[in-house]
Amino acid sequence: MPEQPYEPEGAIAGTGMGGAMDLGASEAVSLEKTPGGPDGTGPADKPRSLWSDAWRDLRRNPVFIISVLVILFLVFISLWPGAITSGSPLKCDLAKAQQGSGPGAPFGYNGQGCNVYTRTVYGARTSVTVGVLATLGVAVLGSVLGGLAGFFSGSWDSLLSRITDIFFAIPVVLGGLVLLSVVTSNTVWPVIGFMVLLGWPQISRIARGSVITAQQNDYVQAARALGASNSRLLLRHIAPNAVAPVIVVATIALGTYIALEATLSYLGVGLKPPSVSWGIDISAASPYVRNAPHALLWPSGALAVTVLAFIMLGDAVRDALDPKLR
Amino acid sequence: MLLEVRDLHVEFRTRDGIAKAVNGVTYAVDEGETLAVLGESGSGKSVTAQAVMGILDMPPGRITGGEILFKGRDLLTLKKDERRAVRGAEMAMIFQDALSSLNPVLSVGDQLGEMFVVHRGMSRKDARAKAVELMDRVRIPAARERVKQYPHQFSGGMRQRIMIAMALALEPALIIADEPTTALDVTVQAQVMDLLAELQREYRMGLILITHDLGVVADVADRIAVMYAGRIVESAPVHDIYKAPAHPYTRGLLDSIPRLDQKGQELYAIKGLPPNLMRIPPGCPFHPRCPMAQDVCRTDVPPLYEVSGTRGSACHFWRECLHA
Amino acid sequence: MGRYVVRRLLQMIPVFIGATLLIFLMVNVMGDPIAGLCGERQCDPATAAQLKKEFGLDKPVWQQYLTYMGNVFTGDFGTAFNGQEVTELMASAFPVTIRLTIVAILFEIVIGITLGVITGLRRGSPEDTGVLLLTLVVISVPTFVTGLLLQLLLGVKWGWIKPSVSPEATFSELIVPGLVLASVSLAYVTRLTRTSIAENKRSDYVRTAIAKGLPRHRVVTRHLLRNSLIPVVTFIGTDVGALMGGAIVTERIFNIHGVGYQLYQGILRQNTQTVVGFVTVLVLVFLVANLVVDLLYAVLDPRIRYA
Repeated sequence: MPEQPYEPEGAIAGTGMGGAMDLGASEAVSLEKTPGGPDGTGPADKPRSLWSDAWRDLRRNPVFIISVLVILFLVFISLWPGAITSGSPLKCDLAKAQQGSGPGAPFGYNGQGCNVYTRTVYGARTSVTVGVLATLGVAVLGSVLGGLAGFFSGSWDSLLSRITDIFFAIPVVLGGLVLLSVVTSNTVWPVIGFMVLLGWPQISRIARGSVITAQQNDYVQAARALGASNSRLLLRHIAPNAVAPVIVVATIALGTYIALEATLSYLGVGLKPPSVSWGIDISAASPYVRNAPHALLWPSGALAVTVLAFIMLGDAVRDALDPKLR
Repeated sequence: MLLEVRDLHVEFRTRDGIAKAVNGVTYAVDEGETLAVLGESGSGKSVTAQAVMGILDMPPGRITGGEILFKGRDLLTLKKDERRAVRGAEMAMIFQDALSSLNPVLSVGDQLGEMFVVHRGMSRKDARAKAVELMDRVRIPAARERVKQYPHQFSGGMRQRIMIAMALALEPALIIADEPTTALDVTVQAQVMDLLAELQREYRMGLILITHDLGVVADVADRIAVMYAGRIVESAPVHDIYKAPAHPYTRGLLDSIPRLDQKGQELYAIKGLPPNLMRIPPGCPFHPRCPMAQDVCRTDVPPLYEVSGTRGSACHFWRECLHA
Repeated sequence: MGRYVVRRLLQMIPVFIGATLLIFLMVNVMGDPIAGLCGERQCDPATAAQLKKEFGLDKPVWQQYLTYMGNVFTGDFGTAFNGQEVTELMASAFPVTIRLTIVAILFEIVIGITLGVITGLRRGSPEDTGVLLLTLVVISVPTFVTGLLLQLLLGVKWGWIKPSVSPEATFSELIVPGLVLASVSLAYVTRLTRTSIAENKRSDYVRTAIAKGLPRHRVVTRHLLRNSLIPVVTFIGTDVGALMGGAIVTERIFNIHGVGYQLYQGILRQNTQTVVGFVTVLVLVFLVANLVVDLLYAVLDPRIRYA
């Protein structure tokens, strides 16, 4: 479980808490115009936008294609788990406990005699629901707060920076344990709520940074000079240019939220039985690991593949959107 | 001859295709001589120089043909280590942007002294003394104190002096200066250029001066080679060119210098853009922009015609141009 | 520099207060602070009221917080559920977690930086692609899964290590747990080093170094590495705080009696004093680590001047 928030690689140097590293950042920018190539290989003939260029890249990137296929499959089985399974994930038969694979149970049975295959398929729904909803919440809250802070700067900005500092000082899993240990409701909502509460500062930092960068563009300055209203500036000129880094970080964060839900469920404070979650199953399987390792390995594998798919997707999109790496 | 580049070809493989950056460049520099290589960005002047120095990024760059003879040896056939021993010691390079070309986290003394430590096997202490000496040589005030400072603590002109000192350190036979004054203030430009010219005379080094600034060239260069689309289009002693260019491109460059006696008149500009190196036009590469272009220019690549014993022009109509 | 440190220390105060207050509120308001005090049973109302009075829990929360912090600064962290002083628990738990963190950081430095340098220098090569995919897999597999799998393979199946760590928690016992704790950061360090190396490799000053005729190893170690490692060192520095606070899962899997273990017990038993005390120290460690990193940054990069 990544305990520290994911940052796009270039940004890590700047995660110190004060603004003292501004110089380092500006040096980095000035170093970007490395020659090395032929002096001016000539611009390509027709202008290409960032997004269409990225899309052209992505379509040919096997990592992107594989991760999209995996994610589509996951969404499909979360919506219609019955399409590839029969029976309920809650129907367990202690007589079959710890048995290996058999008819109708290709992954065998776990310590309580539940069908591991069925439970693994149904577990996808929990993970995808938590991941998607938590990411939406974090992205909306984080971009609005961070975007406004970057746009208006001043005291609101420094207040928000201090608040994000506070949240970054609390380890995520620890915060989850403290907050969720007292919750009795056994739905996905407290888990999602917790993730939004502790996750927004990460997005807000990214959004703040990219709004500040976008604001320095000449055409934004020009629009401002021409008397465009604040809301028009933000929505029409700044937001479209600031949204790319947020999307990238949010996609990667989606993967880490799925992992976080499983971790919290493993620690016993996320979802609790009879909910179906990979974290619960992995936790339940660990005492029997000597006799029935399959009960541990299948949900672990499913969890790993799911998280990997989202992180690879975010990674591929980031590479495609980052012109520096071309 | 100190350095002879013969029919050099360099290309770059990019994601969009192969860019032919250098297409058969031939030039020569002798001891104590200054060759100015003139051209717009993308003309291949820097790439040629990087190929000579052996610092071309390969890949994506690739030398596909030609020879680089330095003191009679073809550098392209040398082993890696032999080539490395030539760099810095026998030929050195001065880059355009001294701030980014100097290592930001090492003191200038360390960076200067490194030349002596690596090539001459000196101790760090002796090398430090040499560094101070060099800084004195390029007239950096308070060299003894400033030797411990970092590049960002120097002004632009002083930084470029440090670059010059570094190139000069082992008294190489050849110095390549790639737009050495472009990044500097106009007032400082002249000082740095004068210093470079003075040191060159003193050490009798060959100097290749890469620039797009015709004003700089007139004062210091002996010969000029004008490059366009990876080719030499005109090569001549400096005074011949200023008197009467033998290529329409050179003429265009000269006409686009603002002159005091033409105040109030519209400044001349060569129409169009330099060609895309992935799609260099057939025939003379300059024909789409040339006011003198005829049918033959669209089909036949002009060779470097001999205008006189010391002069060449790659224009089918060099005579007309010369007398225009 | 001195003034900068003072300013940074002052800036740390609101963050420290904010973070500890947040945890204090979470524990006190959301939970029931006396629930753990009557053992397994529910407290009867009379005892509950008496206990509340005894611990000052009938007062407003802000007053409780102030009292608590006042005590903390005199070195009194209160008592844990079994009557032990929280400071005693800390004295036994922190050395273990510090050892675990040292092992983890060593893995990050040795393996992470080495892999990053190799892949950064050979970007696009098969080994680069392989390591890059491997780092993605490591980042993707949650720590508890990595931990359980390594425990299953090395401890249960092959018997190379003892599946759980003894109370002494010596360095040699902590090698595998340290690797598990480091795994995700290790992957980040690799990727960060790789990006940094690859970016700096194309920089002008590296070109200058090559033009000076320096041997390749000197170009790499003296010019390229010095610059490329600045962001990596900062990352590893900040990670110290994150690792210590994030060891809960690893310590649970390998049954290590460190900070994470004590916190987990404290949370399960709703022991306010233990939880708030440990978190307070962790937040302090995190803040100090960040400050040290910023100062280190100035040492590594002469362009940074703090005023």
